[in-house]
Amino acid sequence: MKKDQIYCVAIFDSVSHVIKAEKILKKASIPHKIIPVPKNISTDCGVCVRFLPEHRDAVTDALMSSVSVSEIRELFYE
Amino acid sequence: MSETINARGIACPQPVLLTKKALEANDEVTVLVDNKTAFENVKRFATSMGCAVETNEEPDGIFRIKITKNPGSQVNTVSSTEYTCAENKNATAQGPTVFVIASNAMGSGNDELGAILMKSFIHTTIDLEHRPDIIILYNTGVRFATADSGVVDDLKVLEEKGVKILVCGTCVNFFELGGKISVGNLSNMYEIAGTLSTAGRIVKP
Repeated sequence: MKKDQIYCVAIFDSVSHVIKAEKILKKASIPHKIIPVPKNISTDCGVCVRFLPEHRDAVTDALMSSVSVSEIRELFYE
Repeated sequence: MSETINARGIACPQPVLLTKKALEANDEVTVLVDNKTAFENVKRFATSMGCAVETNEEPDGIFRIKITKNPGSQVNTVSSTEYTCAENKNATAQGPTVFVIASNAMGSGNDELGAILMKSFIHTTIDLEHRPDIIILYNTGVRFATADSGVVDDLKVLEEKGVKILVCGTCVNFFELGGKISVGNLSNMYEIAGTLSTAGRIVKP
């Protein structure tokens, strides 16, 4: 893991939305990763989709019409 | 007042409970036990209450523990419920900690959900305080070692941190994943069974 790397995370209301989003992103070959929702973010769902900021537009475009994304946040790793 | 408790042949947490009771009435208690777990538990219990503890292992496998209350010893505030039959919690388990990823799903019921959970589990393993020494992937669990599994980067980080990753060769062959395994060492049943049989702790999510 690189230092100070910035990621984005897409947060969803439900796990089924995460599963749906994963399928769409996989099909569209957009690099992403399923991770537990970071502790500082509050959600009932528990898992979210992480991706690099450079893919933010692609992710938004791919998911917008078919899955309801609660929000997209930036995430910093130290 | 002093009292001697013969706790030989008695399983935990009984020796600790007897010790606690005796200490409530006496300033000095000698406890005899005949197994290491009871010995460690009684010793730890007495120490945690602030008592002075002298121990002596006698040749016939008997442990003698002499406990003397100090002015600040607080017998009543210590819970004895944690001194169970299981090994001493403070003692490190003998042998490595092994995480077994036996399928591509965590839990059973819904495999789609299970896959999400397992990925999340593997990712979280990196940040655990007590990381495994060895991870074994078998059956559909071997899929996590392929490049597009979504967690191969996590497994690589774990490997860099010194975690040994064993990937079941028979399973790789069965799923025709030969050449697609990107992390860990291809392993066989001798090594897998040997690792499981000598593990100090096995975690199977």
